[in-house]
Amino acid sequence: MELVNAYTKKRSSFGRQPLFCEQGPALCDSVPSDPAAQRGYVLRNPVHQPVQHGPRTSAHTVNTARAEYTTTGSNHAEGGWPKDVNVLDPEATQRYRRKIEKDENYIHCAMSLSPGMDHYVMQNNAIDMYQTYYTELAAQPPLERCSVRTVNVYRDPLAGGGGGGGGRPVSSVAWTPDGAGFAVAYAAMDAHLAPRAPLDAFVWDAESAARPAQTLRPPATLLDLQCSPRDVHVLAGGLASGQVAVWDRRRGAAPAGASPPHAAHRELVRGVLFVNSKSGREFFSGGPDGVCKWWDMRDLSAPTDEMIVDVVHSSFEAQSRARALGVSVLEYEPTIPTRFMVGTENGLVVGGNRKGKTPTEKLPAQFEAHFGPVRSLERNPSFLKNFLTVGDWTVRVFSEDCRESAVLWSPPQRRRVTAAAWSPTRLSLLLALQADGRLAAWDLLRRQHEPALAVRVSVEPLLRIKMHDGGALAACGSGAGHVYMVELAQSLVQSDKNDKALLTAVLERESRRERVLEARARELRLKLRQAEEGSAAASEEPPDERALADAAAEYAALVRRELAAL
Amino acid sequence: MEVKECNDLAEENQFIVDDVSKIIKEAIENSIGGTAYQHNKVNQWTSAVVESCLSQLTKLQKPYKYIVTCTIMQKNGAGLHTASSCFWDNNTDGSCTVRWENKTMYCIVSVFGLGI
Repeated sequence: MELVNAYTKKRSSFGRQPLFCEQGPALCDSVPSDPAAQRGYVLRNPVHQPVQHGPRTSAHTVNTARAEYTTTGSNHAEGGWPKDVNVLDPEATQRYRRKIEKDENYIHCAMSLSPGMDHYVMQNNAIDMYQTYYTELAAQPPLERCSVRTVNVYRDPLAGGGGGGGGRPVSSVAWTPDGAGFAVAYAAMDAHLAPRAPLDAFVWDAESAARPAQTLRPPATLLDLQCSPRDVHVLAGGLASGQVAVWDRRRGAAPAGASPPHAAHRELVRGVLFVNSKSGREFFSGGPDGVCKWWDMRDLSAPTDEMIVDVVHSSFEAQSRARALGVSVLEYEPTIPTRFMVGTENGLVVGGNRKGKTPTEKLPAQFEAHFGPVRSLERNPSFLKNFLTVGDWTVRVFSEDCRESAVLWSPPQRRRVTAAAWSPTRLSLLLALQADGRLAAWDLLRRQHEPALAVRVSVEPLLRIKMHDGGALAACGSGAGHVYMVELAQSLVQSDKNDKALLTAVLERESRRERVLEARARELRLKLRQAEEGSAAASEEPPDERALADAAAEYAALVRRELAAL
Repeated sequence: MEVKECNDLAEENQFIVDDVSKIIKEAIENSIGGTAYQHNKVNQWTSAVVESCLSQLTKLQKPYKYIVTCTIMQKNGAGLHTASSCFWDNNTDGSCTVRWENKTMYCIVSVFGLGI
């Protein structure tokens, strides 16, 4: 603050002696304490003091003056009459018209406007605007949109009890023959570690995902469960103890019959499949012990037939169990009654014939498919000679004619491919499941180097797939015990008219290529063998060398002659 | 000795307690007239009181040195006792203390004026 006090002082009073005296301690002020006042106050401890230091901002919006626009159409049938002409009066309009026609510019305007108008009028007359065209052509199918969506999830109701992290992994899914429900078997892989883990398998109704329609209680872990194609209520399953068991849904949860352990497989039963028979009660089973057994449901005390999966090349060798290849998946096509196929644990696919007499006739075909166990094996429903196999990281399509290699194969995927199935309605479609929970739809007519659509269905790996007979739904079982019902878009369900011809052409082409390659490979091998045998005659060498030397000398002479001539 | 010039008798050279007291009361009234005690404003108030007192005092245009102190105390029930002792020239110098209070606080302002 600016406080200035300018004062004057007489010189005579400069340096005056101050007459000091003491003013004793005087009270300035005294306020007595008042306890009553203290009661009006409350001790506040602790005291929170918020402090904020931030930039202060403010917002302000400004806009210029806006002009309002509207867009309207106007119908201009006839107009442009000046204000003084009464439009309703025919005479006045007539008079006005005549006046205009007498105008000079009228002629010029009319002449310049009429050609254009003529052109448009004639154009309009030529083409009828209101006619519908192209009615005789068929409607083009709309642009392809492949999509897959999960319609429903059926969760293992016993999950969370024994599984720890999730449920028991799904070990098999099978639709009932009427397509209204499906049977799911769960197999806790560490069943020997947790003997009290629930063993139940369920039959679900496709409509209700809340709880299964029925529970089946096997005596041991159920690894494969199939529905009988003739009878809705009958199911057959393969157990981890090597036995096979049969259920009748009307009877209850316990098996209606089970094979005795001494007649059953020596190791667990990996796959069970129903066979075409008059009664619809015969099925066969296979497992890692390398033997396929045929059973009749009416009498499960002993198998009706047995075959050791040991491929022998001459009829003198006997098949032995010691050399048998473990079976990992079975395949059977009801339209070819006596033939079946078996996928083994070391990657071979072996074709079998029940009616064979000698061992070579019984297992006539063998294909080297994968580097690990074959996980899925299925014939194409319309092209019975071709079948798909799923193994290590690839999906392969084989043709029965080409024994050496697959006809079509997918590039190795990032994760293991765990299962695959053909679509029953769309000829070229196969659905493959991967270990990271993705469903890949491969359409062989569109792209062969990558799936047409790959969708992540679940977080846990997907293990089994079974397509519904209608072709639109697929049930995928996952490692956590959940079954995901997935619906395919129409474009993935239907086949076009010439799909069959195109697919035949594709497969033909591929198999021809393979056969040509096979033939060439055989030729090369033959030549190699001949060369080995022929190398004993070493006298072939010197004449060749002499001829070589002669040729070299001749060439040198020629060159010298040319150079001299230059 | 007889002091020839009795400047002390001149109005200018005397500390007039009544005037100063009036000035102080005015200053307080203007600064913290109708307010209740607020801890975060006390700083402002004391400065305001002191400043306004001082500016009014200098307006008197007297050849004086002034010392102004201001104490604001919340009415909490506590007691306060202040005293002062001075060594000056009794004729020319003086002091004035004013106590002002309202329902929630006391304000005690002391002004010491020392003649130059």
